[in-house]
Order: sequence, then C-alpha cells, then structure tokens
Amino acid sequence: MKKQLLPIIAFALVSVASGTGLALSQSSAVAAESPTTNQFDPMQFARGAKAWANNCTRCHNMRDPKELRDDQWRAAMMHMRVRAGLTAAETEDILIFLQGSN
Amino acid sequence: MKTAPQSKLSSTLCLLILVSASPVFAQSHADRIDELEAKTLAMAEELAVLRAELEKERQAPDSEDMQSIRAESVAARQAAQNAEIAANEWKNSNSVTHLAGYASADYVSPENGNAAFVANFNPMFHFQFKDRILWEAEIEVQIEENGDTNMALEYSSIDLFLNNNMVLLAGKFLSPIGNFRQNMHPSWINKLPSAPPGFGHDGAAPLAEVGVQLRGGIRVGEQSKMTYAGFIGNGPKLEGEDGEIHGIDTDGFTGDPDDEKVFGGRVSLLPFPKFEFAVSGAFGDAAVVENDGVDFEGDPTRDYKVFGVDASYQWNNLDLRSEFIRQDIADEQTSIAPEGGIWETWYVQGAYKFADAKWEGVARYTDYTSPHADKSQEQWALGVNYLLAPSAMLKFAYESNTGLVGESTDDDRWLVQIAYGY
Repeated sequence: MKKQLLPIIAFALVSVASGTGLALSQSSAVAAESPTTNQFDPMQFARGAKAWANNCTRCHNMRDPKELRDDQWRAAMMHMRVRAGLTAAETEDILIFLQGSN
Repeated sequence: MKTAPQSKLSSTLCLLILVSASPVFAQSHADRIDELEAKTLAMAEELAVLRAELEKERQAPDSEDMQSIRAESVAARQAAQNAEIAANEWKNSNSVTHLAGYASADYVSPENGNAAFVANFNPMFHFQFKDRILWEAEIEVQIEENGDTNMALEYSSIDLFLNNNMVLLAGKFLSPIGNFRQNMHPSWINKLPSAPPGFGHDGAAPLAEVGVQLRGGIRVGEQSKMTYAGFIGNGPKLEGEDGEIHGIDTDGFTGDPDDEKVFGGRVSLLPFPKFEFAVSGAFGDAAVVENDGVDFEGDPTRDYKVFGVDASYQWNNLDLRSEFIRQDIADEQTSIAPEGGIWETWYVQGAYKFADAKWEGVARYTDYTSPHADKSQEQWALGVNYLLAPSAMLKFAYESNTGLVGESTDDDRWLVQIAYGY
C-alpha cells in the first residue's frame, strides 16, 4: 500500500466515525425535515437574529432578508455554514430568523 | 282646608279606582291570559312537529340533490387542500436549487498604459438535498484583452453535513489558508476593486486545492467559538523558467505529477463575537512540472511549506482586518531550478461606514515580496464606496504602487468598479 494512502484512509475513518453514521441515521442535530415546516419558536427566532448580527458582518454587509425567498435562504445558509464555520444549530437559527423576516 | 281644584282631583281618582276594580275589567284580563296560553301551546306543538320532521330528515337517506351538494362540498374541500399542498411544495421539497454569484464591471486607468474597461462574471450553483448534502460550484468568467472569454472552475465540491460541528468536502475547494482567498475575494465583499498584491495567481497565498477537507465550527460557552478546517490535496505545481522557479501554481489540479500530497488547515478563535484570530498552514512536497512553458517530468520533489495568520474585528461601522501569508519552497540542488524561494505578503485594512452607512471609506496597505524583483510590490490603496444595496457597491479607488521601476507593479492606478452579489 502506498504511503500516501494511509493519511487519506485515516482521514476518511475519522470523518465516518465522527459523524456520517449519525447523519445517515437521521439523528443529526440538523433536522431532516425542511426548516420551513418547523413550528415557529420565538426563542429560536431571537437566537437567529443574534447569530445573524454576530456572524454575517464578519465578512460582508448585512443582507436584507427580503432579498431571497424561504427556499433560496435554505441553500444560501447551507453555503454560508461551510464558508463561515457555523454550527448546524446556528445555521438553523439564522435560517428561521431570515425566513420569518422576509 | 282644601281648595276647589284639589277637591275635584281627589274625586276623579276615587272614581277611576272604583271603575278599574269592577268585574267587567277583571273578566277581560283573564280572557287575554287564556288566549296567550292557547297560542303558546299551539307554538310548542308546532315546534315539536318541526323537531320531529328534522330528526326524521336527518335519519332518512339523502335525497339526490342533497347527495350532490354533499359531494360537491367534499370535492371543493379536497381541491382546496390540494391547492394548499401544491402552493407549499416549493417550501417543503427535499431538494433545493439555487443560483447565486456575483459580477463586476471595472474601469482601470494605470499611470503608464492605456485605461480600459473590464468585466467579470462569477455564477455560483447550489444544489441541496435535505440538510445533508450540498453541491456547490463557482465558475469564473472573464473577458481577456483580446476579446476571448476565459473560463475557470473556481471550485466544485460535494459537502456532506456530518453533524452539528462537521462538514466533509470532496472535490475542488478554495484554499482554507488565510481568510481573504476563501471568504473576502468576491467583488461584492472586497471593499476595494483589487485584491491585495500577493493574493492572486502565482502569488504568496494558495488559491485552491483538489482533495478532501473537513471543516466546521464549535461553540465554546455563550460568547466564544472556534472554527477549523483540515485538508489533504494534490498540492501545487512549480513552474520553472530560465533555471529558476518562476512561480507556485496553486489553482488546484486533478493530477499530481510529483505524487506527493499536501496537508494543511486553519484554526480560528473568536473569544467574543466579531473578533477572529486565526492561524493556518500547510506542508508537503512539490516539484517542477512545467519548465519554460512546457510540461516537464522527472524533477525531484522538495519541501513545500505555507504559514498564515489573519485577524479581523468589527465594531459598529468600523471594520479592521489583517493577514499574513508565506509560501516557502526549499532548495533542491539536483533540480532543473535548484534555488527555492519565499513568497510572502501581508496587508492591513481599515474601513468605516458613514452617512447612514451609505458611504464607506477604505484604506489598505500591502507589502508583497517575491523572489522575483519584478513581482514584488508595496501598495497603498485608498477608496470610497457607495452602497447601492447591501450586496451592491460602487467603488472608487486609487492605488499608490511601488515596485521595480519600469514594471507594471510600479504603476499607480485609478480604479472604478461596480460590483453586485446576488
């Protein structure tokens, strides 16, 4: 076996052990269902507003929630989760805030 | 003694009392009560009959008309439910497709040379399945000076969301070394029309990588958090020219001629919101695989190291950020280009919004050092931006550049740019 394969295999094993199983068994912290179907939670909305203010301006101007529709914010927020290093919980809080404000 | 009128009034009242108490009036009152009782009984009987008929009708099978009305009512209710479900389908689908991106139109006027208009277009695609998978890609489309259109795949990765704190990326991704390249370079985000020297092609900052990356964020208490990214990739290609390393090509490649992988990552700490401090780095091997513009094989591998530090802070309308990145190629005596080199750049930038955050002033200082004197550059850039919208900016900037005399790196420039992120 080539020596270069070892770190890749280790990397993959760590990834799988640390999360893939959870995700595929639907027990991930990220809800399997669309966030738009979630019941409105005022506390989550408030957490989302705070996380939005604290995270988005780290790089760019505050975007108006009305710029996108609910479904577009879903994809945009998943993209931003990767970019900004957001947790799944923060991502969903911000999404609820944006979807409730557009 | 009563007066005469008082006496008449008393007499009249007595007479009325006597008349009203007479048997004739008493008989008339009893008749009216009997009449009312009779009417009440009749109405009660009528009500009982109606109730009986209603109950009978309820228990009896529907008439054809009634059945038809009931069927229409059910159908209408079902149609309304279907319409509601259809109207909400776009909200509740498992998959989402989203087109995003940014575009800019520039006018660049150098001190020595011709002023010209420039245009760029960077569409981004997001395809999401539930909250588990995201495929994201960005294409950079540029118009060349000769009119040709240049297209490049900036990144294309499948992102698997593993848990609350972890995302696994596979494919081509923007280098997580530093912050400018991965987060700040889009024209609608960058506060100046140009990238800091050293953050472009063949510069000091790695651009992209093809491989796998694990990244995410972890909350630490109420206020603090950390983010992390670690990757394994094919690594850069070294370009040789006239016996020297001309540059480090870090565009991200699907081939790996030197057969040596590069490992790297970035860790950032946010002790409180809006303040971030990060350290990043990478190491591995690289080799000259292109010499004097043609493919070259058999060159020995050599050490390749990257180190970066970046920080940013936002307070009200003030935005401060700074970044340092260094790429180091070791010497290799048996190589076609024996001498290695250090490509190093750093910048510090401050921006402040004013006039209801519609206007923004920006100042940036950059010092880029390359092993090649004609590429090294020191730059002061000053700009004023007008925010047309949160994601649209009109930028005016002036660059004071100091480089090798006679080179474009020594030309001061005026720049105007309109940028829009969508």
